[in-house]
Amino acid sequence: MSEPKKYTYYPGCSSQASATHLDQSLRAVAPKLGIELEEIDDWNCCGASVGHVEGGTLPQTALSGRNLAKARKQGTSDVLTACAACYLNTHGVNEKIKNDVRTRKRVNESLGAVDLNYEGDLNVRHACEVLVNDVGLEKIKGQVKNPLTGLKVAGYVGCQTVRPFAATDTGGNYDTYDQPEFLDNFVKACGAEAVEYDPKTSCCGGSVSVYSPDKTLHLIKKIVQAAVDAGADVIATPCPLCQQNVEMYQSAINKEFGTNFNIPVVFYSQLMAVAFGMDAKKDAALDQNMIKPLKLVEMARKTAG
Amino acid sequence: MRTIAAAPAGSRTYDLNFARWVYQNVDGGDRLSLCMQCGMCSGSCPIGTAMDHGPRKLFMMIRAGMKEAVLTSDTIWNCTQCYNCVVRCPRQIPVTNILQGLATVAVREGYAPEQPTAKFAKAFWFSVKHFGRTDERLVTAFFYFSFGLVEGIKRGLANLPIALRMIKAGRMHLGAPHRAKGAADLRAIIAKAEEIEKRERAQGAQQ
Ligand code: SF4
Ligand code: SF4
Repeated sequence: MSEPKKYTYYPGCSSQASATHLDQSLRAVAPKLGIELEEIDDWNCCGASVGHVEGGTLPQTALSGRNLAKARKQGTSDVLTACAACYLNTHGVNEKIKNDVRTRKRVNESLGAVDLNYEGDLNVRHACEVLVNDVGLEKIKGQVKNPLTGLKVAGYVGCQTVRPFAATDTGGNYDTYDQPEFLDNFVKACGAEAVEYDPKTSCCGGSVSVYSPDKTLHLIKKIVQAAVDAGADVIATPCPLCQQNVEMYQSAINKEFGTNFNIPVVFYSQLMAVAFGMDAKKDAALDQNMIKPLKLVEMARKTAG
Repeated sequence: MRTIAAAPAGSRTYDLNFARWVYQNVDGGDRLSLCMQCGMCSGSCPIGTAMDHGPRKLFMMIRAGMKEAVLTSDTIWNCTQCYNCVVRCPRQIPVTNILQGLATVAVREGYAPEQPTAKFAKAFWFSVKHFGRTDERLVTAFFYFSFGLVEGIKRGLANLPIALRMIKAGRMHLGAPHRAKGAADLRAIIAKAEEIEKRERAQGAQQ
């Protein structure tokens, strides 16, 4: 195998809480795909989608500023993150520091309080974009030892993984905003079947779902219903918040709408770990899904030991 | 160096300074004058039915100087930040960022004390500031109890089954909150950033 490529990895807060299974499975499959992840030393929260409200615009910007300054101290490798919100903030701030002199000055004045500095000479990239542009589908296919034959997967991409950067030059131009194909391609590379699924980039309500689910349950219902109608065994997603909302609220939806949903929601990296013949628990972290992906667990068992 | 218009007085219903003030002080607001009121943003919005006005109308209200109505509008709070509007706007107006900027102003000027989003944001920022990272348990508890003791317990209990399943799945840990070692450094950076914004606002008000 060719030399692995090194990336500075920003796991983000969800990696230690609601999306431990994304972090764990990504770290497991990365070396197989020639990706070396070096974590940003003592990273902090990116501010997610609400930091600006109470904190203010510049303090929110400075959060990513510190992470980028710390990453730059570790070298010039591209910064990689797998979380949609982390990517949105970190990539967005990075581009602003690069292109807007006033922002650069103000962020650096803030960072100066602890003798940090960052001039905007890194690139911040989404894990999926790296998989598409640097790794490539062939390499993914090449690692498959346990093809997920017969597993029907609804590829639910969500919003912020592709919007607003996926079709921009700095975002790597890796897919479209409305009908992205990368996730279905990952699914197929793993040997599974990507079912016809329309609401690929429908909104799960994001953080509004976390604190006011009454306003957004109908949005999540649409996402689950389409997957069930298409006969999917699991929903796959790249986004921590999507995974949490779509999984966690199925029981509330059943109560509210009289449905009978109980479909597992997994990360693409969990699918890859199983397809690569890795361990169901240690690598694919399948024990961390609240709705157990039984079919996938069964498939993982085939190659265990 | 850009000039900053005086912050408009809150007392008037129609404050024609408000539009200029938004253009100059809200992140991305400088592009707002390009809005041609086509409605693509509101038409693309997944949660439009839960919004009183939607972005298109809100932007028109900004131009009309309806400060009070704009800053108390639930449009800025119910936005899920899906960025549909941003990628579709024919004038490349950063709609989502403008709504975010308005949310910041609304909180700072005391227009949104009872908004769940604002309450959640407060809990979230507390966690960021003290620990450098966000702890979901802390944020949730802080958020629930911001509605008062009884309501807090009620909401906590309603979500207990989910919390228990998360713990069982190993996704909600039970120890002390995660923290960045450099949380104190981060606080110093945040304090400096706040100071810069305050300084700029004071400079703006003098002109
Ligand atoms: S899509 Fe853009 S130009 Fe059209 S109304 Fe919305 S903000 Fe204005
Ligand atoms: S970003 Fe907000 S305003 Fe724009 S379409 Fe999405 S929910 Fe609506």
